[in-house]
Amino acid sequence: MNLDKFLVKGEPMIYAAMVSIVVASLAILIGLTYFKKWGYMWREWLTTVDHKKIGVMYIIAALLMLFRGGVDALLMRAQLAMPENGLLDAQHYNEIFTTHGVIMILFMAMPFIIGLMNIVIPLQIGARDVAFPRLNAVSFWLFMAGAMLFNISFVVGGSPDAGWTAYFPLASLEYSPTVGNNYYSIALQIAGIGTLLTGVNFIVTILKMRAPGMKLMRMPMFTWSVLITCVIILFAFPVLTVALALMMFDRMFGGQFFTMANGGMDMLWANLFWVWGHPEVYIVILPAFGIYSEIISTFSKKNLYGYKSMVVSMVAISLLSFLVWAHHFYTMGHGAMVNGFFSITTMAIAIPTGVKIFNWLFTLRKGRISFTTPMLYSLAFIPIFTIGGVTGVMLAMASADYQYHNTMFLVAHFHYVLIPGTVFAVIAGFHYWFPKMFGFRLNEKLGKLAFWFIAICFNITFFPLFFLGLNGMTRRMYTYSEGSGFGPLNMLATIGSVGLAIGFVILVYNVYWSFRYAPRDTTGDPWDARTLEWSTHSPVPEYNFAITPNVKGMDAFWAAKKENQPLYEGKIEPIHMPNNSGQPFILGVIFFFLGFFLVFSMWVPAIVTGVGVVIMLAWRSFERDHGRHISVEEIIETERKLGGDTV
Amino acid sequence: MKQLFPIKHVMGYLFSLVLSVVALAVIFFDLSFSAAMVILLVCAILQASLQLFLFMHVSEAADTKKTLYLNIAYAVFVGLVTIFGTLFTMIWGYQ
Amino acid sequence: MKINSNVPLEYSTEENSNKILGFWLFLGAEIALFSTLFATYFTLWNRTGNGPTGHELFELNGVLMETFLLLTSSFTCGLAIHAMRHGFKKATMVFFAITLVLGLGFLGVEITEFVTYVHDGATVSTSAFLSSLFVLLGTHGLHVSMGILWGAAIMIQIKRQGFTAETTNKSFIFSLYWHFLDVVWIFIFSFVYLKGMM
Repeated sequence: MNLDKFLVKGEPMIYAAMVSIVVASLAILIGLTYFKKWGYMWREWLTTVDHKKIGVMYIIAALLMLFRGGVDALLMRAQLAMPENGLLDAQHYNEIFTTHGVIMILFMAMPFIIGLMNIVIPLQIGARDVAFPRLNAVSFWLFMAGAMLFNISFVVGGSPDAGWTAYFPLASLEYSPTVGNNYYSIALQIAGIGTLLTGVNFIVTILKMRAPGMKLMRMPMFTWSVLITCVIILFAFPVLTVALALMMFDRMFGGQFFTMANGGMDMLWANLFWVWGHPEVYIVILPAFGIYSEIISTFSKKNLYGYKSMVVSMVAISLLSFLVWAHHFYTMGHGAMVNGFFSITTMAIAIPTGVKIFNWLFTLRKGRISFTTPMLYSLAFIPIFTIGGVTGVMLAMASADYQYHNTMFLVAHFHYVLIPGTVFAVIAGFHYWFPKMFGFRLNEKLGKLAFWFIAICFNITFFPLFFLGLNGMTRRMYTYSEGSGFGPLNMLATIGSVGLAIGFVILVYNVYWSFRYAPRDTTGDPWDARTLEWSTHSPVPEYNFAITPNVKGMDAFWAAKKENQPLYEGKIEPIHMPNNSGQPFILGVIFFFLGFFLVFSMWVPAIVTGVGVVIMLAWRSFERDHGRHISVEEIIETERKLGGDTV
Repeated sequence: MKQLFPIKHVMGYLFSLVLSVVALAVIFFDLSFSAAMVILLVCAILQASLQLFLFMHVSEAADTKKTLYLNIAYAVFVGLVTIFGTLFTMIWGYQ
Repeated sequence: MKINSNVPLEYSTEENSNKILGFWLFLGAEIALFSTLFATYFTLWNRTGNGPTGHELFELNGVLMETFLLLTSSFTCGLAIHAMRHGFKKATMVFFAITLVLGLGFLGVEITEFVTYVHDGATVSTSAFLSSLFVLLGTHGLHVSMGILWGAAIMIQIKRQGFTAETTNKSFIFSLYWHFLDVVWIFIFSFVYLKGMM
């Protein structure tokens, strides 16, 4: 067999990456063997169907991807620091900005949010698990298969290099002849199916598994935001599925969808991509809004201002999010009618978003605010995100957009939306719910130090890009001349990015430090919070709640604490739980290989693994697994160990 | 036998065959484009509703009925936006 | 396990009614999926390049055959669920078997049609119109094929286990899927074939 097809050669940095991947994998394998942890790994993690563990795995994967995407970002900033820099060549730069975008959106932001969803949602609605625990594990392993497949592209066969939007005709076989964009279409496809299944799972969970008394309009805001997010996932991801399938046909089976000849229409790709792509933006931002709502309410010691208007504005955003996509390609050449229509819908979406900003401000008003780490991120979010939002309205004006389109102004805008919006939110949520996951808080001092680094250096990195863009620096250019005058501001942005990286290193160190030294939380409610997840123990027992809580109003746990309303009434009964299963993991592995063989057009092994997938489905269909029951004695024993007062 | 072939199902089936035949009018008669589209659309929507209400029992579960309607409404909204939005941006509104 | 005896067996447990709701939601996603394929087809349908147009390609007889087969299979599938709700195991099995055979018949006609197209030099890489046609029809055909495998698996389970909360639930969900494929076909029949032959 000719190995040249698979190995990327001639790049010192890629050789270094290969070596480090091999070393890291070996270290993990040797470590697991040495500490005899294989059985533990398999029993407790690889086969788990517990929503909390799946959530933790999502977050670990997201942090790893944050590291990978972050290194990409630093390389780009290093390349652009000086005019005519030779650190990266054009091809390598193309690959890096492509993988940076894909990884940060689809393999960092999405899994981080889905991880928090997994951990928090069943607890927040007083449920024992999600509606379909096994399907939840399938979702995770499909995501993981997609993420790993995408990541190996870097050393096996070559990365995609046509941008994270993979516009045609650039992404066609003719102009991108390497397997890079095959990886793009297939890895995203596999991960996307996982995401779609998550959407179905959480809608059913939220609609059908709420504790008695928790009406829809009594749900915590994070639960509401996730419900609406999942609705968007459910209807937007099929569009991506189709778009990626068409891309696969064009690249691998001679399809003519996006070609320049035979009637193909290259811009149809951009159209379909953004029909999914713009709702996708709201998929990553709405749960963030939910997280901020929880945190701001908790640390202001007030209930959320304008609950109903929050819900209504999210529903409005979810509908509007499907009506704005063409603003991503105003300059494509369609008429004034199209641009006018999409300008108006795009600006309209600022209205419900503005409603939410005011609601948060009014929640803060006259609150007794405690400045914890999660609260600091939430407070920083409001002004920084507003800058992102306002520049968004500038970009929404089609005629003005001809000036900003594809410049660094746009790059600055979407980083100003996505970083304070999504990244700050998941970090804030991570700090906020960390004690629920592991039973102790992260260190506040280190947390705040990381916060100041991240918040300040974020602005140093991205604010200059607005001016670079207005001065005419386009995005995705791998270098520029000295005469352009872009040098000083770029250097400033690069310095900022180093500070940003230091902030993230402090964050990771904080996790390490806290695991070793942080005092354990015995209350289960270290923040004096309001919602149901804080009413059970930390870390949460497998069955979540020994007795199903009885909800009588909004912020049920707060009411229980302040007005002495009993939350847990009745006696302990045996709890039905699903059994662990290795099938989701095996299915993920098969999908990984199926994807790999498709990428390299190796048809015979691809068909064999495809049959493998069908066999796995049949195995599941014929399986008769009715789960198991946890006995009353076992529950009482667990509760006693955790120091529960519910018994 | 009567229990195996409920009259509602049989009528529904016959009606769906009739609707398919009616739709054939668009190729056998010289109709204007819009008239033909109206016929096709009406027949297709009737057929889909027939399947939905008669065979798929969409309205039978009281507790989830509203959810199912909302789900279908939202799906149809997104579907129509995708179809007509794409035609609008790619063909009708294209210079 | 809480069993509610006021509703049909397939809804009887909480897990069962969750599964039915979950599948309806999935069908919502399927509506979005097929809408996107239709959007692509409508955008590209007169961009035939050097290849044949739909008018030259489509043949009424095969399409009518396919429509008749699928409509009938949808009918028998409905009868199977009706028989299931009355507890007639044998009738259910017979109706399901007829449904799947009709589904196979549909696939047979569709494959023959594809072979004819390719024989006439109309392949997926001939023109954008043909790419979108093949992918739209192919996706529907793939769904039908998966449905046949799935239905067969459920029949085996009914045969072995009889009507339980699980097997009835699976049968009902399968019937939702099968009727949905019929709905998609109606739209293909009307807006791909009939509109193309006008």
